[in-house]
Amino acid sequence: MPELLDVQGLCVDYVLPGGAVRAVDDVSFTVGRGEFLAIVGESGCGKSTLLFAVAQLLAPPAEVTAGTVTFTGANLVGLTDKELAGVRWRNMSVVMQSAMNALNPVKSIGAQFKDALRAHGVSERASVRARSAEVLKMVGIDPVHLGSYPHQLSGGMRQRSMIAMAMLFTPDLIIMDEPTSALDVVAQRALMVQIKELQREFGFAIIFVTHDMSLVSHFSDRLMVMYAGQVDELAATRATFERPRHPYTRGLLEAFPSIRGPKTPLRGIPGNPPDLATPPSGCRFHPRCPYVVDMCKTKEPELYPADDSMVRCLRIADGSLT
Amino acid sequence: MTELIRADHLTRHFKIGNALSRRTLHAVDDVTFAIGEREIVALAGESGSGKSTIARLLARLYSPTSGTITFAGRDARTFRSRKDHLRYSSEVPMVFQDPFASINPVFRVSHGVLRSLKLHRPELSGAERQAEAERVFDVVGLKPDMLQRFPYELSGGQRQRVGFAQALAMKPKLILADEPVSMLDVSIRIGLLNLMAKLRDSEGVSILYITHDIASARYVADRLIVMYAGQIAEQGPIEDVLSAPKHPYTQLLLSAVPDPRAPLAEVTDRGEPPRVVDPAPGCRFRWRCPLAIDTCQTVTPVLADLVPGHEVACHVAQSGAEVKAFVS
Repeated sequence: MPELLDVQGLCVDYVLPGGAVRAVDDVSFTVGRGEFLAIVGESGCGKSTLLFAVAQLLAPPAEVTAGTVTFTGANLVGLTDKELAGVRWRNMSVVMQSAMNALNPVKSIGAQFKDALRAHGVSERASVRARSAEVLKMVGIDPVHLGSYPHQLSGGMRQRSMIAMAMLFTPDLIIMDEPTSALDVVAQRALMVQIKELQREFGFAIIFVTHDMSLVSHFSDRLMVMYAGQVDELAATRATFERPRHPYTRGLLEAFPSIRGPKTPLRGIPGNPPDLATPPSGCRFHPRCPYVVDMCKTKEPELYPADDSMVRCLRIADGSLT
Repeated sequence: MTELIRADHLTRHFKIGNALSRRTLHAVDDVTFAIGEREIVALAGESGSGKSTIARLLARLYSPTSGTITFAGRDARTFRSRKDHLRYSSEVPMVFQDPFASINPVFRVSHGVLRSLKLHRPELSGAERQAEAERVFDVVGLKPDMLQRFPYELSGGQRQRVGFAQALAMKPKLILADEPVSMLDVSIRIGLLNLMAKLRDSEGVSILYITHDIASARYVADRLIVMYAGQIAEQGPIEDVLSAPKHPYTQLLLSAVPDPRAPLAEVTDRGEPPRVVDPAPGCRFRWRCPLAIDTCQTVTPVLADLVPGHEVACHVAQSGAEVKAFVS
């Protein structure tokens, strides 16, 4: 079965006066129908840029310099806005990071739903109303709130109405950029459960970007860990949590204190993420890696298969690190 | 434990609305707690629960609507002279949430440290100020040459360390840290938490650690105060509260913490924010509480010891019944 989304060798550069900075470097992955793929990484690792590239929403100075984004059989790279308009929202929609800012504060929720529906060809008043009320009900909000303005809703409700908006045309793929980062834990948990339920019911695929690995541990099918613009590890979510392979992934998992079990001193990962304008030689993680050996400083690792995972680590590849 | 600061019946209301609809937002209502010397107290709760308002009240950025703050045995209302106020603000400094917004971008980072040293410790000479700035940078884990950098040259974690260095330069007794790590990447948060523990252990500073991240609170704090809708729901030694939470809200909070090592807990609660505008008497959590009884509708629960040192504001828990509202 062909995959829903197939990204191959995608590179995104920020073209700046001082030279180009490569924010996404040769990233390849696929998303199947109805799959939940989580992408995690620190700020500046290129995860949001990657999402924008997949959705073809990049604006200068960022541009796709290599690679393809094949969605339902067609390459999206290089299409004009007009050509993309048929795909966007109907087949692929995006939930932006902060619903607080992504909704228009001076328009009611209903008016914003209407805008989206009209722009994509649904203009009959009765169907606009019916569909708007329907999606709002799906996310558990009383349709009376179609008349509400964003400031009258709580953070959780705003975030859920953003998701409702993304579902207006029941797309095949919904891309979510940290949709829960502004919420507190209880609302965050409720939203995650709801997203998963909606996915089960309507069968859309999800790409979910977050910096908090533990958040997706129970929800995503596969997990992709990014570091400095590259994929470091790509595997089934449970496999990664049970046996993280890449030293960076191990470090990330050890950086979370737990509310259960014995209290142990944690170290986190020393140092800071690299500046992408001058990435380190060899393996990009080597300056912070506790398992570093000489070859890591000079040889650039590729993504190597290790059991069922893909891991970008020379020592995993030659078997000296297990 | 020697008591360093105590808040008694601390209350802060805000007037909202206009002449036609006067309403009052009860940001903090009748909150009583103490922080001891060399103690890290975590203040946890959802957004809008009044955590930051408490920090601002303690920093005296807001004046309380009612209630008192007693610092080192002295009622803060008796501070009259500039000297009193300066002394208090140097002994109780604040570290802010956003390290990208809280440092002046047009000056070198030494500017903030040296300036507060000049203001709060005028007895030091120029050379002594420089030496002290280098000492506090060393304590927070920054190299002395970092003093000459501009904020844009530093990472988020380094900037937040500068925030702690500034606070430390004033010889503080209590640092009010308002979500100091929430803007930082996961891999560097632990470094800052370890720094807070070090400040307590080797510099003898107390810290009020405001957070919504219970796991990080457990990692670093000695005691936990859980806020809900402007009131304290539960407080006590952190291991006691986390291993045997008595308030339904604390149980809800714990059940929602993402934990890859534990199975997914069933939570049906939507996380709707509490209503704190002109609240009627009664427990403020009753709308969301599966155990609410008639008393909860009319009588506001007050904090009471269940076991010594572990206080809970819940009618059901205080009646002696076992509280199992949410399982984590």
